[in-house]
Amino acid sequence: MTQLFGAPADLQKRLDRAFNPRTVVVVGDKRAMGYLWLNCMKTFDGKVYSVQVDPNEISGIEAMGVLNYKSLRKVPDDVDYVVCAVPRPIAPRIIADCVEKKVGAVALFTSGFAETETEDGIALQEQITQMAREAGLLLIGPNCMGIYNRRLGVRHSTDQPAGDPGNVGFISQSGTHCINFSLVGALRGVKCSKTVSFGNAVVLDAPDYIEYLANDPETEVIAMYVEGTKDGRLFFDVLRRTARRKPVVVWKGGVTAAGSRAVYSHTASLATAPAIWDAAMRQAGVVQTESLDETIDAVNALTYCKPGTGARMGLIAMTGGQSVVITDAFERAGLEVPLLTSASYEKLSSFFNIIGGSYRNPLDAGGTIGMGFAPGNLQKLLEILEEDGNVDAIAMEVGASFIARRLRENPALLDQLVETLASHKNRSAKPFVAIAHPGHVEDVMADIRARLIARGIAVFGSFQAGAQALRRTIDYWRARRDLN
Amino acid sequence: MSVAEVIENARSEGRTLLTEVESKQVLHEAGIAVALAFLAHDANEAAKAADKAGFPAVLKVVSPDVAHKSDVGGVRLGLDSKDDVERAFDDIVAAVKAAQPDARIEGVAVQKMAPAGTEVIVGMSKDSQFGPVMMFGLGGVFVEVLKDVAFRIVPLEPKDAREMVREIKGFAVLEGVRGQKPADLAALENLILQVSEFIEAHPEVEELDLNPVLAYPDGAIAVDARIVVS
Repeated sequence: MTQLFGAPADLQKRLDRAFNPRTVVVVGDKRAMGYLWLNCMKTFDGKVYSVQVDPNEISGIEAMGVLNYKSLRKVPDDVDYVVCAVPRPIAPRIIADCVEKKVGAVALFTSGFAETETEDGIALQEQITQMAREAGLLLIGPNCMGIYNRRLGVRHSTDQPAGDPGNVGFISQSGTHCINFSLVGALRGVKCSKTVSFGNAVVLDAPDYIEYLANDPETEVIAMYVEGTKDGRLFFDVLRRTARRKPVVVWKGGVTAAGSRAVYSHTASLATAPAIWDAAMRQAGVVQTESLDETIDAVNALTYCKPGTGARMGLIAMTGGQSVVITDAFERAGLEVPLLTSASYEKLSSFFNIIGGSYRNPLDAGGTIGMGFAPGNLQKLLEILEEDGNVDAIAMEVGASFIARRLRENPALLDQLVETLASHKNRSAKPFVAIAHPGHVEDVMADIRARLIARGIAVFGSFQAGAQALRRTIDYWRARRDLN
Repeated sequence: MSVAEVIENARSEGRTLLTEVESKQVLHEAGIAVALAFLAHDANEAAKAADKAGFPAVLKVVSPDVAHKSDVGGVRLGLDSKDDVERAFDDIVAAVKAAQPDARIEGVAVQKMAPAGTEVIVGMSKDSQFGPVMMFGLGGVFVEVLKDVAFRIVPLEPKDAREMVREIKGFAVLEGVRGQKPADLAALENLILQVSEFIEAHPEVEELDLNPVLAYPDGAIAVDARIVVS
C-alpha cells in the first residue's frame, strides 16, 4: 500500500471519494478533441465544471451548457475528481492548483512524461510526482484515462453505458484495454462497477486500486490488465489477500524483465521470469488470462456460473459432429466427460430419439429437443443431468447455427428456449455454460447470446472458449477451497 | 554456534558462501532434517567425527578452490570403520593435491552416509520482483535437462507446499514407480515449509540449495547443502 497517505484505511476512504464524486472538474478540454471529457461527463449525476483559459475554447464549452472558470481555485464547490487534459508544460501548475484546492484526486490524461523516454519527459514526471507526494495528492496516471463509474455516469469514453450499477471492477495500465473491456464487455454481458486506467502509476499503483476494489461492496469480481509492477512483492500480497474475498482475473501483457541473479546458483539459473510470474499468480489464487476475449469470458463465467469445484461435465450438443468436438474441447481444457448413472440412462431411454442421436454423454440431442426448440424434452434432459451424481457441471450447444434463419422467421421459438434455459439456471446448483457459435446468420446468433446473458446465463462463442472459461472458474473455486 | 555466529564468522573471513559444514549446521539449528557434517583437519579427527556421525561414513574435501569434488578424487563413500576413514582422509588429501596442486584444503567433511532414496532438490533464490522464491524439483536430469521444477513465493502456506510437490511433471516418480514405495510427501512438504520459515527469519540468506534431498517412504533428509549470504 502506498504509504504517503497515512493509514491504509485513510487512503481507501479518499479513493472512495474520487471513485464516487459529487463534483467533477475537467481542466483543459478542447474542441480539437471534440470536447471528449465534457461529453464523457454528460451522463454524470453530479456537478460538472470546466477550467479553460483559452477564449476560443471557452465559447464552445459554454455552448455545451457547462460553467467554465479560468482557474481551478475559483471553482465554488469542493472538488472530488479532476480530469486534466492540459499540455504537459502546464501540468505542474494544475497539480499545484489541485493541492491548493484539496481535490479528492486528479487523473492526468496529459501524456509526454517518462513513457517518451526523453530527458524532458522524465524530469517533468519527477517534478509532478514529487509535488503530489509531498502534498499527499492522489494522482492517477499520468498518461491515463482515469476513472469510470457506470452507476454515476463518470466516464472516459462517450460510448460507455451509464446510469445503472455494475459488479465488475477493472484496473489497467493501458487506457485502450480499460475502455475496450468496458465496451466489448458491456456488449457481452459484463457490467462494470468501477474501472480505472492508471498509466504511468507514479503515485497510486495497481495494489492501491486492487485494495480499493477489494473493499468496494459494489464490486464482486475484479479483473485487470498489467504489464509489470514496481513492487512485485506488494502486488502479490494484495492479490493473495483479495482473491480470498472475491474472484480476481489477471491479464498479463508483455514479458517481465528477468532480474539480476547470482550466476552460480543452481536455482537462479532455472528461475526464468515468466515461470515465476505464473507461479506467483497461481499461489495468489487468481485466474490468469492472455487476451481481452479470455478476460471477458473468464469474468462472465465467474459472474454468471454457480460456483463449483467438480470437473465432470454433462454435455449437450445438437448434432453428431458437434457432440464429438464439444467433448474434445472440454477434455482438452482438463475437464472430464464421464458416463452417466444407470438411473439417468433408464430415464433417457424412455424418450430419447436415438435415430440420428445418442445419449451416452455427450448427448447428441438435436433430434430429441428439436434443435433446442422443443422445450419439454430440453427441460427433461437438463433435469436428468442436474440429478445425475456423475455430473458436476453442464455445457450446452444452444441451437445449431445453420438453422438460425428459422429463428428469425419464428421468434417465439427463441423466447421459449431462453425461458427454458433461464428457469433451469435459476433452479440448478451446477455451473451451466451455453455455447452459441457464430454462424452465417450472425445477427440471430448474436441475439441469442445477448438474450441469454441478459438472463444471467454464461454464454460463449466457441466450445473452447466455454471450456476454458469454466475451467478457470473451477480452478478459482478449488484454490479457495484448498486454502486450509 | 548460532546462525548469526556462523554467518558472522563467514563474513569476517570475507566469504558470502557458507561451507557445507556451516550450511548444514545452521539448517540443523532451524530444525531442518540434514545429514550433519563435521569438519576434520586430520585423519584422527576424521575417525572421531565418523564415530560421532555414524557408519557407514562419507568423506568430502572442503576447499574453496574445488568446484567439483568428485572430479579431483575428493569424495569417498561407504567407509565402515575408523581405520577406513583414516585411510580415506589421507587418500583424499593426496588425490586433491595431485589433481589440483594449488587448491587450498581446509579439511574434510565427515558425515554418515544416507541410504539410497529418491533425489529431489529444494532451493531458494531471490527474484528482483517477488523477493525470495523457492524451487522444488526431482534431482538430476529432471531439473538440469527437463527444467521440471515448481516455484513458490516465500512465505509458503501448507497448500503451496502441497501443490508444489504435485505440480512437477515427474510427480509419478514420488508416488512410486516400478514397485518402489511412495515417497513420504508429508515429510517433503514439511521440509519445504521449514525452509520457507528459515528464509523468512533470515533475510540475509541470498541463496540456498539442498541438493540432493533424499526422500524415503518414511522421512526425507538433505544430504548436501549450500547457503549464500549477503
